[in-house]
Amino acid sequence: MLPAPASRHRQRLTGRPWTIAGLAGAGLVLLALSSLLGTVPVPLAAGLRILVHQLSGGALFPSTCAGTGVSVPDCSTLTFIVWQLYLPEVLLALVVGAALGLSGGALQGIFRNPLADPFLLGISSGGTLGAAILYVYRIEVAQADLYLPLFAFVGSVATGLLILAVARGRSSSVETLLLTGVAIANLLSALLSLVLLYNPVGGEQVSFWLLGNLGLASWSVDGLAFGVVLALGALLALFGQDLNLLQLGADVAQSAGVEAGRVRLKVILLASTITAIAVAFTGVIGFVGLVSPHVVRRLVGSDYRVVLPGSALVGAALLLSARDVSYLAFPSSVFPIGIFTAFFGVPFFLFLLYRQRRLTPMGTR
Amino acid sequence: MTAARSPPPLVVRRTTVRYGDRVGVQDLDLAVGAGEFVALTGPNGSGKTTVLRAVLGFLSPTQGSVEVFGRPVEALSIRERARTIAWVPQEESLRDDVPLEEYVLYGRYPFHSFLDRETPAERAGVRALLRELALEDRARDGVLSLSGGERQRAVLARALAQETPLLLLDEPTSHLDIGHQLDLLSRVRARTRATGVAVVAALHDLNLAARFADRIVVLSHGRRVADGTPSAVLSVELLARVWGVGADLERDRRTGLPYLVPHQISVAPASSEPPASLGPVHVVGGGGAAAPILRRLVDAGYLVTAGALHLLDSDTEIAQALGVPTALESPFAPLGEEVRSRHRALLSRAKVITVAPFAVGPSNLANLEDVGPFVARTPTYLLRSPPIRERDFAEGRAEVAYGELLRAGAHEVDDLAGLMRELARALPNSVPPAPAATRETP
Repeated sequence: MLPAPASRHRQRLTGRPWTIAGLAGAGLVLLALSSLLGTVPVPLAAGLRILVHQLSGGALFPSTCAGTGVSVPDCSTLTFIVWQLYLPEVLLALVVGAALGLSGGALQGIFRNPLADPFLLGISSGGTLGAAILYVYRIEVAQADLYLPLFAFVGSVATGLLILAVARGRSSSVETLLLTGVAIANLLSALLSLVLLYNPVGGEQVSFWLLGNLGLASWSVDGLAFGVVLALGALLALFGQDLNLLQLGADVAQSAGVEAGRVRLKVILLASTITAIAVAFTGVIGFVGLVSPHVVRRLVGSDYRVVLPGSALVGAALLLSARDVSYLAFPSSVFPIGIFTAFFGVPFFLFLLYRQRRLTPMGTR
Repeated sequence: MTAARSPPPLVVRRTTVRYGDRVGVQDLDLAVGAGEFVALTGPNGSGKTTVLRAVLGFLSPTQGSVEVFGRPVEALSIRERARTIAWVPQEESLRDDVPLEEYVLYGRYPFHSFLDRETPAERAGVRALLRELALEDRARDGVLSLSGGERQRAVLARALAQETPLLLLDEPTSHLDIGHQLDLLSRVRARTRATGVAVVAALHDLNLAARFADRIVVLSHGRRVADGTPSAVLSVELLARVWGVGADLERDRRTGLPYLVPHQISVAPASSEPPASLGPVHVVGGGGAAAPILRRLVDAGYLVTAGALHLLDSDTEIAQALGVPTALESPFAPLGEEVRSRHRALLSRAKVITVAPFAVGPSNLANLEDVGPFVARTPTYLLRSPPIRERDFAEGRAEVAYGELLRAGAHEVDDLAGLMRELARALPNSVPPAPAATRETP
């Protein structure tokens, strides 16, 4: 009835709810199975019973592991492992993945640049420097769980604000902001190298942290990260239509009623804060923020009202998958998860890129 | 409608916009009424886009004010502006392949708060717009799959979705073929008639401007140099003066509207301050009497102006072919006040005035009379043969006027050769180098 290009678009549009439902369903299964994966193997049946038992507040499977061949003391150990270690790690992976995906999507929209990622504005450099100062000068190492995120967060936010302040003083153009960010990030990297050069102690920890890990996960960390990311992320996701219009150029957007300058500032502040939270708890996990928005765009189109929440979902799924793959590949060791986001994400991204290369990718026009 | 009483859609008062040291627009006055279609035209860099950007509030005037419906544009919030003024840019950078319908819905942005979304009524409105612009079949297609003509209509649809009483278009047809140019502008024209929306369109195609606009405003170097109906504004002289282009002025037999057929770059476009040695030499003529003089002067490298001539006159044809700026009147009509004032402007700029031995009748007697006041300060040469008595068809009044010129100090010369000798004496260094291609600087 309709010409070919039209039906293609119709398909992409009507497929949208199914895509979201599919992603959500796959996510739930992934979530349950992931909670049983880690450095210590957990038998599937016992693990699932433990999960249900804990989630129901003890109402279901009151005798937890009965009938699975796991002894009572082992069962309580496994319960601790699953409930206090694995599940918090899984949830942190979800929150951080969502934070990075969302932040990446928002920044790609603001900068109209497909290469933008959450660490674009020096957030990671600032966070790393903050963490390095903690490690190198051994400040309150006994309470590293508390101080590491704090130092990293302060470092990230301070860097972000510094860049915004410098760029705002000169000109409000996106390019200026971008270049200021790159320049400051390089300056901070140099500073970091200098600090590590004179203080080799702690360097290994810093480089491990640089690649990202979920080791700080706990219910309280998760609760904090979840609260902040959900609140700020929900706010950020409401800027979808503003980002849609900004794709037409700041002038056109403004002629249609978008307060381009203010929207830009708000989105950058929100995205940077969300990223800073992620960096604070897990270090610098690359690739998730860059690739998630592209995956969403290729699956469901470029409407930012969908791209933003979609990127959060894909980011969460991607980081969780990377965690799982790392444990499946190296069952008894903890690898920096950033390595696996790349190993796992790059092939998938390239597959999407070349399978649909006939479609116009963002930024080629 | 209360349109008659409400303040006009757009009033620009003595507005100057600068880009650093450079002047974008200087002392501009412009008023646009409801339902009016005003074409803003002028050469590249004349300030058309600057005017539009100042109206949109993108540029702040250094002097003067821009008022939209009686309120200074900078006093309106960005959202209020978007509900008042819509803008069709020259080219919109469509990067993402969003469905056309969603794209047009972007125009509803200023009507929504942070949380709510489009209503079914708005979607229906967008559908109606797409129907009106012959895009309904493409509603679900991605904007990147649209053709150039469709895409520009889509941009127009997005702007119209803002339902503003003022619509600005910046060279909306510059990337379109002639068919789509006509199509787009007639849709805008129909819209102004149907809804009373006021339109300001920057158009560099004068003929399109003449065809669709109620009024044409001509800008040159940031100043308004003409403002009026197409018939009043369009002239060969204007095209030569502002664009430095020679043209024939014709009249469309069906619409009765004037249109210009540009045919060459002027050998020496008129300039308000040409090098003194080059002239300008002004030739008063008509009926073919001026033609040999014009040819000879242009060949010799003088800057030449002519007037006041009638359309379809053989002198006019030669003047146009040579790119000589001319004050022009409709065929056989007595010289009107506007043409005479343009003629006097040319006379006042002339370094030497030459009066060709033309046949003087009631319709062009004013030509001789208008020379009078300039004789005292400008060397004036009258070609004496054939004698004025033989070419006086104005019941003796031509002879009287001729006599007055002589009494005022005009010189008679015998023939063209004599004229050239006098010119060489009156304008020393008058063997000019290559013709200068200076544009006017008002």
